Amino acid sequence: MGRYVIRRLLQMIPVFIGATFLIFLMVYALGDPVTGLFGDRAPDAATAARLRAEFNLDKPVWLQYLLYMGNIFTGDFGTAFNGRPVTELLAQAIPISFRLMLVAIVFEIVLGIVLGVVTGLRRGRAADTSVLMATLVVIAIPTFVLGTTLQFFLGVELGWVNPAVSPAAPFDELIVPGIILALVSLAYVTRLTRTSIVENARADYVRTAVAKGLPRRRVTTRHLLRNSLIPVVTYLGADIGTLMAGAIVTERIFNIQGVGYQLYEGILRQNSPTVVGFVVVLVLIFLVANLLVDLLYAVLDPRIRYA
Amino acid sequence: MTDDRLLEVRDLQVEFSTRDGVVRALNGVSYGVDAGETLAVLGESGSGKSVTAQAIMGILDMPPGRITGGEILFQGRDLLRLGAEERRRLRGPRMAMIFQDALSSLNPVLSVGFQLGEMFRVHRGASRKEAKERAVELMDRVRIPAARQRVNDYPHEFSGGMRQRIMIAMALALEPDLIIADEPTTALDVTVQAQVMELLADLQREYRMGLILITHDLGVVADTADRIAVMYAGRIVENAPVKELYAAPAHPYTKGLLDSIPRLDQKGGQLYAISGLPPNLLHVPDGCPFHPRCPRVRDRCRTDLPPLYAVSEQAADGAAEATGEQAEAAAADAAHDDVARVPDIGERSSACHYWKETVDDARRA
Repeated sequence: MGRYVIRRLLQMIPVFIGATFLIFLMVYALGDPVTGLFGDRAPDAATAARLRAEFNLDKPVWLQYLLYMGNIFTGDFGTAFNGRPVTELLAQAIPISFRLMLVAIVFEIVLGIVLGVVTGLRRGRAADTSVLMATLVVIAIPTFVLGTTLQFFLGVELGWVNPAVSPAAPFDELIVPGIILALVSLAYVTRLTRTSIVENARADYVRTAVAKGLPRRRVTTRHLLRNSLIPVVTYLGADIGTLMAGAIVTERIFNIQGVGYQLYEGILRQNSPTVVGFVVVLVLIFLVANLLVDLLYAVLDPRIRYA
Repeated sequence: MTDDRLLEVRDLQVEFSTRDGVVRALNGVSYGVDAGETLAVLGESGSGKSVTAQAIMGILDMPPGRITGGEILFQGRDLLRLGAEERRRLRGPRMAMIFQDALSSLNPVLSVGFQLGEMFRVHRGASRKEAKERAVELMDRVRIPAARQRVNDYPHEFSGGMRQRIMIAMALALEPDLIIADEPTTALDVTVQAQVMELLADLQREYRMGLILITHDLGVVADTADRIAVMYAGRIVENAPVKELYAAPAHPYTKGLLDSIPRLDQKGGQLYAISGLPPNLLHVPDGCPFHPRCPRVRDRCRTDLPPLYAVSEQAADGAAEATGEQAEAAAADAAHDDVARVPDIGERSSACHYWKETVDDARRA
């Protein structure tokens, strides 16, 4: 196990370098950040040159990348064009997105697995078909439609929640955005769990468990669910990264100043250090989440041995 | 019915609803097992051996399966009248089942110790530690070497024979009165098969359990079984003590099965095979379901469904003296006489109109 973890950590290095370099290339080499900074007005040559020198933009791209990476490993993510250090933005945005992700993932796990198990055990009945239809609807309707609709009804019409989330973004304000963010993944988790349950319910070892005279509940939780959750856990693990990074739409709708919001701002203002800085951190989050999923996989399924 | 009668299946009927129509998997199966007795249930795939076993255990998939008639008397109680919870409590302490493929029948993600100990935890309220201790004892019992070291291993870490021993141990855990072994050695190497069968037979004697041994391996049957029930297309076609059946089968199907065993003393000849295929249970032929494949088929077989006739030695001996047309007439007469008398479940019986000839031919050969 230990050797496996070390090998996986070593494998992360090229993935990390490759991913960050591609992002760096896209952001810095395509388009001119200095021009972007001035918007519609053309910058005067002297100022532009000074800015280019300050941000190392006059050097070749690979050198820029090396310099940038060197800075990152000393904890310097560069300065955003608005003067604030990128690390400060990160420190502010990541906990917010993390909280939002937590809310969403809890919804996915609890509701998704419960619905999946219920529909899987009642395959073909009314409950199954209606939940399946509902998941289709959720998958088909874009997040911004559902998000703004829910925001309008709960926030404006009924006034149950604040339509916009305050900059501090405490948990209770993140519940509605969390649901919106979770919905699509929730639908997939439900379907995945259902399929897995249906498949395993016919397995020989479930029949054995019944033949052993175990109560129905124990057969379902200990024998059926334990096996059926393996693919679901894999999906959930990979989803952590997606939820952290992919909340752009949800965060825009509810004005949550998380990772998605900052990334959006960064892209809009061609704020390169912000964009690259956030992406670097997201790549790291993805890599760690995937490693955790693989390790969890071995815990759930003893047939998988890491050597 | 003897006092020793542990299980009696009477006229059991099971149907499956499928997309193509209703499949009548069991059309009135009757057999019985006494305490300490081994009943071998023999038949081709799809003849209803496993369905009967699952109906007895109460683990039939319902739906699509449906028990449409009959009784399953276990220790005097009709299981089909019991509630689900009562039946669950019987599974494990009173009756247990050993499945064919131990690898897929054991849960891959739980240690064997956990799966064995579960019996004691659920049915006896044992603690986790006690259960593990009992699991080690059980593994010792079924002669798994180094049981204590291996109790936390997972099913895939055991060899096929060892896995089947674990299945046996699991079935034996609570010392049930009845064990149903559904082709327990089919998935094993020939060398291991004998060991596993021997173990099963030893343990059965030791605990004086009733054993239903479902198999299509006649070799296994000869050594271990006391009685044999031969099934074909969801019916019992012959029910007999093992020695009598081997000596002189009373049904052409049984004879076909016996003739298709390779024999060392008849090397070089072509091995006999029953021609044709088992019937599609959606369209079971009229009359005797075996008639399209039967070498001694007559007109009557195509129209009249043979009931189970009691096979008595005297009647067979009497018929043996007659020959040709006479024999046929005598057999038919005797058969008609017997229709009125439904054979007892423990009695030798055959579902062939012409069982007498079949027995006599077998005796002469």
